[in-house]
Amino acid sequence: MRAFLSVLFTLLIFPGFLFLFVCALTFQWIDRKVAARLQGRIGPPWFQPLADFIKLMAKEDILPTGAHKTACALLPMLSLASVLTASLYIPLGGKGVNAFEGDLIVVLFLLSLPALTYFLAGWLSASVYSIIGGNRALLQYFSYEVPFLMVLTGPAVLSGSWSITEIVAWQSRAMWMVLVQPLGFILAIIGLIGKLKRNPLDIPKAKSEIGAGPLTEFSGRKLALWYLMLYMKTVVGIFLLVNLFLGGSGLGLGLPGAVGFALKSLFILLILSVVSVLYARLRIDQLANFGWRVLAPLALAQMLMVVWIGVI
Amino acid sequence: MSNDRITIPIGPQHPALKEPLSFMLTVEGEQVVDSALRLGYVHRGLERICQRRSYVQNVHVVERVCGICSHVHSSTYCQAVETLLELEVPPRGLYLRALLCELERIHSHVLWLGVLAEILGFTTIFMYTWQDREIVLDIMEELSGGRVAHAANIVGGVSIDVDEDQIEDIQERLDNLEPQLARFVDLVHNERSFQARTRGVGLLPTGVARGHCAVGPTARGSGIDVDVRRDTPYGIYDQLSFSVITVDDGDVWARAAVRAEETMESLDLCRQLLKGMPKGSIKTRAPRRVAAGEVVSRSEAPRGEVVYYVRSDGSEQPARVKIRTPTLPALSTLPIQLQGVNTADIPVVLAGVDLCIACADR
Repeated sequence: MRAFLSVLFTLLIFPGFLFLFVCALTFQWIDRKVAARLQGRIGPPWFQPLADFIKLMAKEDILPTGAHKTACALLPMLSLASVLTASLYIPLGGKGVNAFEGDLIVVLFLLSLPALTYFLAGWLSASVYSIIGGNRALLQYFSYEVPFLMVLTGPAVLSGSWSITEIVAWQSRAMWMVLVQPLGFILAIIGLIGKLKRNPLDIPKAKSEIGAGPLTEFSGRKLALWYLMLYMKTVVGIFLLVNLFLGGSGLGLGLPGAVGFALKSLFILLILSVVSVLYARLRIDQLANFGWRVLAPLALAQMLMVVWIGVI
Repeated sequence: MSNDRITIPIGPQHPALKEPLSFMLTVEGEQVVDSALRLGYVHRGLERICQRRSYVQNVHVVERVCGICSHVHSSTYCQAVETLLELEVPPRGLYLRALLCELERIHSHVLWLGVLAEILGFTTIFMYTWQDREIVLDIMEELSGGRVAHAANIVGGVSIDVDEDQIEDIQERLDNLEPQLARFVDLVHNERSFQARTRGVGLLPTGVARGHCAVGPTARGSGIDVDVRRDTPYGIYDQLSFSVITVDDGDVWARAAVRAEETMESLDLCRQLLKGMPKGSIKTRAPRRVAAGEVVSRSEAPRGEVVYYVRSDGSEQPARVKIRTPTLPALSTLPIQLQGVNTADIPVVLAGVDLCIACADR
C-alpha cells in the first residue's frame, strides 16, 4: 500500500503531473512577461496562464465536418502523455524516476512524438490551413531534428554513457558540458526553439499566414491539452538541456541543488524569450536551407570535435 | 499535377488581412499559380451621398473615405471646391493644412511598417512602431482635437489654429520622434531577418509598375520617380524643400525602405512648416453656391496620388464627385506580384502595397 501511494505521488504530484503543470504555467508566465517588457508592454498578471487554461477547458469543443473525431480527440492526449512520460526520465537533481542506462534515447524519442501527432492533427482536422501547417511542421521537423539529435549525443559520447543521470554525474566530476561544447549548446538551443515552434521558428503555426496551423480547427478542451502539452514540452526541453549542458543541479556556490537547477532553467528560458522578440519569422524554405547548410555541418563538426576530445 | 492544387480563400475576413477584400488563391505545393480578386465589401456609396449634400457638408463626408489619411481627402476636396470658387486661401491656412497632411503621412507609414512587421512575425517592431505612432496621434489631437478624423478643413481654409506655445510643444515632440523614426530606417536597412523575408518578394519591375499606373510608394519602390507634391505642386509645396525617395529594387523591401525614409522627409517638412508659418488669418469666407464648372484636384496621399473630380451645376450641391484613390492601381498590380510567390509570402505581398479597401470601395 505504502509503495503504491509512493508511486502515485511520483506520477501525479512530484515530479509528475502537478509539478510539471505548475512549472509549465510559471514558465509560460515568465516567458510572456519578459517578452512583454522587452516589447515595451506591461505583460499579463501571474495567474493569466492558469486563467487561460481554465477558460479553454470551459469552452465548447467543436470540430468541422470531415474531421476525424476519434483521432482528433486522441492526438492531444497522446502527445501530452509522451511529454509527461519523458519527464519521468529526466533527473531533477539526483536521479530520474525511471532512470536507466539509455534513457536519453527514450527521452529524445518521446519528445519527437508530439511533432508527429501535431502533423497528423493538421491532416485529420479537415482545413486548408491545418493541412499546410501540418506539411510545414513535418518539413520543419526534418530541418531541426537531425542537428538537434547530433549535438545532444555530444554529451553522451564524451561522458561515455547514454544515461542522463550518468552525464550529470560526469559533469560534476569534470566540468559543465557547455564549457567543453559551447557550439553544441547553441545548436541545441536553436534545435529546441524549432522543436517548440517558438518565434522565429513558429513557421507551422504562423498566425498571419495560416491561422493557427494544424491547431486551427481545435477548440475547447482539446486545444487546452495541446497548449498544455506545448508548455510542458518547453519545461521538459529546458530541463533536458540543463542536465546535458549545464551540469544538472550543481551550482558550486553552496546553494541548495533545487535553487541551482531553477536558476539554470530560468537562464535558458530567458534566452528563449529574448530570441523570440529579436527576429522576424523565417520562411520554411529558408529554415530548410539554414538547417541543412548551417546547422547540420556545424553539428557534425561539433561531433567530430567531441570524438577528438574523447580520443585525447 | 492538378491534383496537388489547393484553393485557399483569403478574406474578406482573415487574420492575415485587416482589409475586407477576398482572394481565391490557387496554390500548387507552396507556390501560388493563380489568383482571383473580389472587391466591394465595404462600398458605402459615398460619392452618391456627396451629390445629395451641400459643398460644406461634403467636407465631412469625404473625410470618412479613409480611416488613416482622412485629412488628405478633405484637403483635396476643399482644394477642388476652392478652385471652382476661385478662392484665395490665406497662407497660414495652407501651412496648417500641409502640416496635418505630413503628420498623417508619418502616421500612415509608421502604422504600415508595424502591420508588415506583425505579418512577418516580428511583433517587437509592431509594438515599437505603434507606440511611436502615438506621438504623432497626440500632436494631431492637440492640433485638431481628433486623433484620426480631424475635421480641420473647411472650404476656404482650416478651422484650427496654433499659438506659439503649441508650436514649441509640437517641435519638442517631433524631436522625440526623430530618433525613433531613424531607428526604423536603420531597421529596414540593417535587420537581416526582416530583409530575408522582404527582399525579392512581390516583385514589380519598373515597366510593369508604369503600365499599371502605379502611384505613391509602390511606384517609387519600383524606381518610378513620381510625387504629386513635387511634379504639380499644390498648396504651399512649391515653397518647401524635400527630396522624393526612390528605390529601384521593386520588391516589398524597396517599398518599406521608401516609406521609412519618407517619414524622415515628412518630419523635416513638418519642421519647415512650423518654422515658416506666416501670421494672418486661417480662412476666407466661401459662398454656399458654386458657379457651374468642373475641376480635377490632385494631391499626394500617404499611399500615392489621390484624385478628386468635382462638377458643379451652379447649385448648392455638387453634380458629381468622383474620387480615385491610390489603392486602385495598387490592386491591379497584385495578381502580378502574387504570381509564383510562396504561400508564406502572400500576406507579405498583400501588406506590401498598403491596401486601403475602404478607400477603394468608398
